[in-house]
Amino acid sequence: METAELKLQLKKQIVEFLNLIQVKPEDIKDDEPLFGEGLGLDSIDSIELIVLLGREYGINIQDPKEGRKILVDINTMVAYIEQHRTK
Amino acid sequence: MMYIQHFNCISPQHNVLNNDLDLLNDASEKKMQANEPVYESIPPGVLRRMGKAIRMGVGAALPICKAPALLNGILIGTANGGMEDCIKFLNQMVQYEEGLLAPGNFVQSTNNAIAGQLGLLTENKKYNITHVSRGLAFENALTDAMMQLKENPAGCYLLGGVDELSTYNYNIEKLAGAYKEEVVSIKNLYTTDSPGCIAGEGASMFVVNNDAANAIAKVEAVTTLHSNNLNEVKDKLKIFIEENLCDDDKIDLFLSGENGDNRDLKYYTACESLLNSNTTVGRFKHLCGEYPTASAFALWLCCILLQKQNIPHHIIKKKTTEKKLKNVLLYNNYKGYQHGFMLIKSCR
Repeated sequence: METAELKLQLKKQIVEFLNLIQVKPEDIKDDEPLFGEGLGLDSIDSIELIVLLGREYGINIQDPKEGRKILVDINTMVAYIEQHRTK
Repeated sequence: MMYIQHFNCISPQHNVLNNDLDLLNDASEKKMQANEPVYESIPPGVLRRMGKAIRMGVGAALPICKAPALLNGILIGTANGGMEDCIKFLNQMVQYEEGLLAPGNFVQSTNNAIAGQLGLLTENKKYNITHVSRGLAFENALTDAMMQLKENPAGCYLLGGVDELSTYNYNIEKLAGAYKEEVVSIKNLYTTDSPGCIAGEGASMFVVNNDAANAIAKVEAVTTLHSNNLNEVKDKLKIFIEENLCDDDKIDLFLSGENGDNRDLKYYTACESLLNSNTTVGRFKHLCGEYPTASAFALWLCCILLQKQNIPHHIIKKKTTEKKLKNVLLYNNYKGYQHGFMLIKSCR
């Protein structure tokens, strides 16, 4: 899968998984922070995103510190998925 | 006793005071689902995670919590809580073999999530409790509020009754024979001589205290009974009236929880038979459907009727001469074994 295609797929999954009712997948910028001022996600969402990565891409994140580096924005998530996905 | 200062409701209806039954929302696919408003008072980031019961409960409560810091507690009655989310979470456990489970559904599924979420959103860290005793969940929350006000007479509490109609509980209750097999319009809910009722849902909220000034209504007394013995129900009502109504006072309106289920009709008929001929008899389940905390909707309706001093004719079962509405007796039973009685008095 091309990187651009994977980014759009991930955005759609994030919107659906986190029930972001007022956000369209295409409106999420690749370098927009997921937490805080950007998309405004919170700590419960971070757990939901880790679950998403496990279910959809077979990625098992055990170390919270590792999670903090991955769940920065769409670019960092996609880069990690491309390197570590098992499905 | 206690006084109702503010009240709000999310129900299947937009306007229960429509005199024309045709203008009311009818059941759709044998269900009366709540007409949810746009929840402007709930932050979007919080709203997206909420299940229906929490959405309705919080959405009905926030507009009447004008000074949340002054509330001494939040008391909610809900038999099922966030049942839809509960089932989603349990299905996840099965599907992912108790492995990766998204926490959102679990957080939203517990019965106390409504009161909890209200506590968080209003930053109220005081008494926060949820009563879950099925068809008497609201009556028990109300009794608790009265007890709180006895201990703390200057207090002010948020009281509510919430239940959602989830696919899961609808299917289970349907299999158990709770709902009508045939499609029934609310226009002939009370004339179909068949078992079952129409499923409903809703959230009704009240701000209560001991202050008679500016109050809309006074909840004089509440009592409950677990029994399927008709004589016990009649005796309970007789004693309730004797204890709470003076000799020269009378019940102007008997608001009955009759729901079109011919198996439960005997309880309502028996209670009606104890009233004198000057009591108007009304019914409300065609407006909200049947659910465990429907009595909270009845209390909300009672506040509206006392405030407007006008009973729409679709509510009236037996009409008497026009008179000022002062005393209302609410009687509701859930599945023929959980009975709740409330005596409400006008404050104006």
